[in-house]
Amino acid sequence: MVVFYLTVTDLKQFFYCPRIIYFTYVLPVERKVTAKMQEGALAHLEAVRLEGRRSLKAFKLEEGQRIFRTPLVSDRLGLAGILDMHIVTPAGCFPVEFKDTNRPLSVNHKYQLAAYVLLLEEHYGKPVRGGFIYYLPRKTARYIEVTPGMRVHVKDKLKKIRSLIERQIFPEAPRRRGRCVDCEYKNFCGDVG
Amino acid sequence: MYFFTDEEKKNLYRGLLPKAREMGVADELRGWNWPFPPLSPIYDILLAIYEVAGAYCPTGRDLYLRRVKGIKTRPNLAMQKGTVLHGALVHLIVAAKRIIYEEGVANYQKIVTRLNELPPYPPECWPGEVDTGEDPENYARLLRNVKVLTDFEKSRLIARIQEILVKQPYIGEDSLVSLAIPVVVEQKLDGSFLGLSPNLSTDAVTYPEPVIVDLKFGRPQPFHRLNTTGYALVMESLYEFPVNLGCLVYAEFKDDRLLVRKDLHIISDELRQRFCEIRDEKARLVAEEIDPGVPENCPASCPYFPFCR
Repeated sequence: MVVFYLTVTDLKQFFYCPRIIYFTYVLPVERKVTAKMQEGALAHLEAVRLEGRRSLKAFKLEEGQRIFRTPLVSDRLGLAGILDMHIVTPAGCFPVEFKDTNRPLSVNHKYQLAAYVLLLEEHYGKPVRGGFIYYLPRKTARYIEVTPGMRVHVKDKLKKIRSLIERQIFPEAPRRRGRCVDCEYKNFCGDVG
Repeated sequence: MYFFTDEEKKNLYRGLLPKAREMGVADELRGWNWPFPPLSPIYDILLAIYEVAGAYCPTGRDLYLRRVKGIKTRPNLAMQKGTVLHGALVHLIVAAKRIIYEEGVANYQKIVTRLNELPPYPPECWPGEVDTGEDPENYARLLRNVKVLTDFEKSRLIARIQEILVKQPYIGEDSLVSLAIPVVVEQKLDGSFLGLSPNLSTDAVTYPEPVIVDLKFGRPQPFHRLNTTGYALVMESLYEFPVNLGCLVYAEFKDDRLLVRKDLHIISDELRQRFCEIRDEKARLVAEEIDPGVPENCPASCPYFPFCR
C-alpha cells in the first residue's frame, strides 16, 4: 500500500543530490527561490507554449496530437508528476520532457523521462516504448527508448528514496561538488563549500 | 563457448549493437572519466571484480572476513570445478593458436591433425585446489566434463580454421589466428584507476567489436552482469574506446552433453551506476572495517559458512 506519493521531480533530484530529498521530506526547510529560478521557470513555460505552434518535424512524426501539462498519478508506483507534453499518435504515445539546456544527455534527465514513460503507461493502460527529450535552445528532440533495465532502475531508486525518508538518514553530499555552488540548499548542508 | 552462433551474431549486429550506439551512455559513466565522480574511487582500497560483483553472500560478510579479518578458505566444490573447466578452455584455445603458429598455413593438414589429437586438459596441470581423492565420483565426472568440453570446442576450432582457409588463399599464420580465433583469453587488465585490482583477468574479450565474455558453470544470477560491467569500465579506462557489450556464457552438463546459453547484453548506464555504487559500499566496508553482519539465509556451500554459523 502506498503511504505517500513521490514525484518525478523527487526522482530527478535524487539523482542530482539525495540531500534535496532529505530537505524536502525529512527536515523541510524554506528554500530560497532566487529571481534567476523564477525567471527560468517562466521562460520554460513560455517556451513550452511557443512549442505548441511548431510542427512535429523535430520528433520525426508525421501526425499526432500534442497534449500539454498532464497530471499523472500511479497508485501502484506511489508516483506522481506533471508531464510537460506528450504526443498521441496512432502508433502509440510518447512523453516529451522539455529541457532548457545545451548540455549532453544527463543521467537524471534520462530517468526522469523513464518515470514519465511508466506513468503514461498507467494513464493510458497501454505499453509505452520510450519518449523524447526536447532541447529548447536548439529545437531538437532526442528519442530515448526505455529499456527493461531502466524500468527496474527507476523502481529501485524509488525504493531507495522511500527508505531514505523512512529511516531519516542524512545522505552524503554529492561527490560532484560543483553541484553545490548554485544549490539553494547549500546553506543548510554545513559541510559543503 | 566464446564463439557466437549465426543467431547470436544477428542479435549482436542487428539488435544490440545499433541499440547500444543509439541509446548512448552518459559520458560521466564511461571508464575514461575515471578521474571524476562517480567513477573515481573514494577509498584507498583495491577490490577484485568478483569482490564487487559477487553477491552470493547477501550482506558481503565474505568480503569482510577475507579482507578485514584475513581469513583464508578453501574454494568450494563448485569453485574448484569452475576453475578446472575454465582452465581447460584456456588450454585448448592457446594450444590451437600455438599449433597454427608452429605449423604455418602451408601445413594446414598437420594443424587439423594435431588439434584433433590434442588431449584434454591434463589433471597434472589443474590448479592445486582440486582434491582428487576426496570424492572420486565427482572427480570422475569432472574428468568426463573436461573431455566433453574439449571435444566440443576442438571441432568448432577446426571448422573455423577450415572456413577461413577455403576463403583466403594468401593468408598468413597471424591473420589466420586473428580471423579464426578472434578472442583473447584471460586478458590481464589493470583496474587501479577505478579502485580495482591491478591484476584483473577477464575470461575472454572477443574482437573486432569488443565484447567482454564471462564464462559461468553455475546457475544464472542477476548480479552476474556486474562482472562484465566492471571489466568494460576497466577497458574503457585503459584504452579509451567504448566497450558497450557483455556476454555471460552459461554452460552446464547434462549427462555427457554440453548445454550452452548466452546472455548477450548492453553495458548500460544502470549497470555502470550499480557497479560504482556497490564498489563504493564494499570499499567502505573494508576501509572502515565494518562488519555487515551475518545474513539471515546463507548457502551451506559458502566457504565462509563455518566462520559465520
